[in-house]
Amino acid sequence: MTKALKLRFNRRQLCIPYAAFLILFVICPLLVIIYYAFTDGTGQFTFDNLVQFFSNTNTLGTLLNSIAIAAVTTVVCLLIAYPVAYILARSKFKKKYVLLMLFVLPMWINFTLRITALKEILTAIESNIAMYPFLNTVIGMTYDFLPFMILPLYTSLSKLDKSLTEAAEDLGANSFTVFMRVILPLSVPGIISGVTMVLLPSMTNYVVLDMLYNSTYIMGSLIGSYFAAYDWNNGSMISLILLIIIFIITLATNRFNDNGESAGRTIL
Amino acid sequence: MKKIRILALGAACLMVAPVFAMAGCAETDETIVLRVSNWEEYIDLGDWGDDEAIDIENEYTGEDYIMGVNSVVDDFTEWFNSQDYGFEVEVEYSTFGTNEDLYNQLNLGDVYDLVCPSDYMIMKLLDEGEIKPYSESFMDTSIETNYYINNVSPYIDGAEGSIFDEYSWNGIAACYMWGTTGFVFNPELVDSDARDVSACNILTNPDYYKSVTVKDNVRDAYFAALSILYEDELNAINANENISEEEKEAERSRLLNMTDEQTIAAAEDILKDIKENVYSFETDSGKTDMVTGKVIANYQWSGDAVYIMDQADEEETELWYSVPEESTNLWFDGWVMLKDGIAGSEQKQTAAEAFVNFLSRPDIAVRNMYYIGYTSSIAADEVFNYFDWCYGVVTDEESEDFYEFDNIYVYDVSYFFGDDSYIYIDMDTVAVENATLTHEYDDDEYVAGYPVYSGGTISMGRQAFGQYPTGDVIARSVVMQDFGDDLAAINQMWINVRCLDLADIDATTVIIVAIIITVIAVAIILYRFRYAIFYNRPRKKKTA
Repeated sequence: MTKALKLRFNRRQLCIPYAAFLILFVICPLLVIIYYAFTDGTGQFTFDNLVQFFSNTNTLGTLLNSIAIAAVTTVVCLLIAYPVAYILARSKFKKKYVLLMLFVLPMWINFTLRITALKEILTAIESNIAMYPFLNTVIGMTYDFLPFMILPLYTSLSKLDKSLTEAAEDLGANSFTVFMRVILPLSVPGIISGVTMVLLPSMTNYVVLDMLYNSTYIMGSLIGSYFAAYDWNNGSMISLILLIIIFIITLATNRFNDNGESAGRTIL
Repeated sequence: MKKIRILALGAACLMVAPVFAMAGCAETDETIVLRVSNWEEYIDLGDWGDDEAIDIENEYTGEDYIMGVNSVVDDFTEWFNSQDYGFEVEVEYSTFGTNEDLYNQLNLGDVYDLVCPSDYMIMKLLDEGEIKPYSESFMDTSIETNYYINNVSPYIDGAEGSIFDEYSWNGIAACYMWGTTGFVFNPELVDSDARDVSACNILTNPDYYKSVTVKDNVRDAYFAALSILYEDELNAINANENISEEEKEAERSRLLNMTDEQTIAAAEDILKDIKENVYSFETDSGKTDMVTGKVIANYQWSGDAVYIMDQADEEETELWYSVPEESTNLWFDGWVMLKDGIAGSEQKQTAAEAFVNFLSRPDIAVRNMYYIGYTSSIAADEVFNYFDWCYGVVTDEESEDFYEFDNIYVYDVSYFFGDDSYIYIDMDTVAVENATLTHEYDDDEYVAGYPVYSGGTISMGRQAFGQYPTGDVIARSVVMQDFGDDLAAINQMWINVRCLDLADIDATTVIIVAIIITVIAVAIILYRFRYAIFYNRPRKKKTA
């Protein structure tokens, strides 16, 4: 009894560094953000910042624009990454890690540098990139975030037990049915984590827009612009709103994730 | 190599210090740390190639050329410590990207002794009581080593009627660099006489759809918007001969410093049009976009314009610089000492003032000008000679650099360097209107028998014009004040401009996004109800 207690106490002790980190760098800043979000310049409690965000068509437009860019980017990434990951995972090529490496290699190069290079390439193709800002932004975002989609998909697809697909084929399923009933459901966790890893950062990644979308603001640069203008209150409110949106998305995907896993389990 | 030198110097200091201490000079032990914050890439960092040496005699180092071997900051430390100040100095040099960054850093508790903000930020810091004025001895012209006050252009500081005098900044700030705002452009891609680039309304001109860039900076963008808004009024003022120059200046300054609600709202509309029409609001990409030919024109600070033209010359593209006819934003960056940093320390103040004076030493001013492309506030002979050396025509037939030009223009910069300061420049590098022929072929003793024009007006030219605009450009320029209490409103206006308005989201985007969202929704529904749809049997119950 005492021994067990002691052990539990020790285990708790192991958590202390992480807890301290969490309190210092996550909880405290969050409280500061909440404080600033609901006060005005003089420190008085107010809902003005919230009202201002939802009553200004410019900030609302930015929110919708961010969501649109993020959604399109995620779908494009998924459509490109899934076949790639599937082929990689299925490939008989012995050195497939080399292939995977080739896809992940761009991640090693600085991201601003990559977008600068992309800008040159797009200029060579389109001659004036300012004409197609939305398209270019999606291309830029996809270029940046594709590896984040490929990796989780590859992991979940390569973990997939081959005997399951063989069994399905033995039982007379055609390749479409095998894909729909076996492979797709089992790769849902990979899809979910890929989507989360692409959707959320692409809502705030302003470097791409700075260079390819006429410096139009996305959520990240909107917050930055308020901070640069010494307006901590409105900036904090927008951060908070973004945080809540991200929280909701994460919650939704997690629910879906559970379903996906249970769907996988039904087959097993 | 440099590191070794510094180490060696440090070691030497360490070895020498005890000797002095024993000799009774205990003060030499003291080292004052001078915390300086300057713009990025705004000082000579040295390491010039041998072929870069500027062919001007340097009386301060005794060499017959000026060049940067070490960085100016290192040179200052070495020079200061070799002087008889009774203490040593060590410079902690840092940089900032924008005035607002500097202001935020100061507000968040960073402490500097000497900083180099722009005009309006100096006004703001002055209003907030952050600035420590220079000492009286700093402004004393009788001390020979007071390089700043002895060499600064009377147009900028020191003299009565100078710009700093007008704003009562004498002894508050020491001007470092200054310039105008205008358009760098490619003359082959604009209309034949370049009328379009001589007004700010090129930014909203549909002929230049998506081919001009503007600085991503609320103040410059706002100035451009007001120039468009009040274009007719400004041109009327400039053309009006019935009012005095002072009245004109006051009127221009009033118009371009308007910050009332209606003006801000009107500026917002104009800026939204600009945003629709331009290639981009750029932070740093404007320079390369211009050189690589992605854009036709770029609204730019004169110093960067010179830099861009230099770069383009290396790529064998000829670019020009034009100052809008209605007006231009005359700007200054000046060194100010901060109360928080100096904190009453006399030695720090001495070191800070010595730093400013060192930067104002004519050879150092030339080095900085060469290195960064901006125009120094110093009007010493060396700087004038440097200007002539860079852009002036070689008039001596014996010289190996002599080259025969057909037409030569007398480029007058007397407003800056004092009376009778002019250089001869090739007329192919300036666009001159109403110039008169001043010297005939035969009786011209100055320029080897070629016609010389003088007295015209110039609104565009190449590097020479970028560095020192002509007197009539200066006459129509306006210093932009701090926005004061209207800052928040203007910032919000700028954010509105930069955001995508709900009303501006175009139909195709909406349709694309709607289709994609529908596809995702359909895919999810199909996936959830796949048993019912594809296999015609109920979904299996979860097994335990």
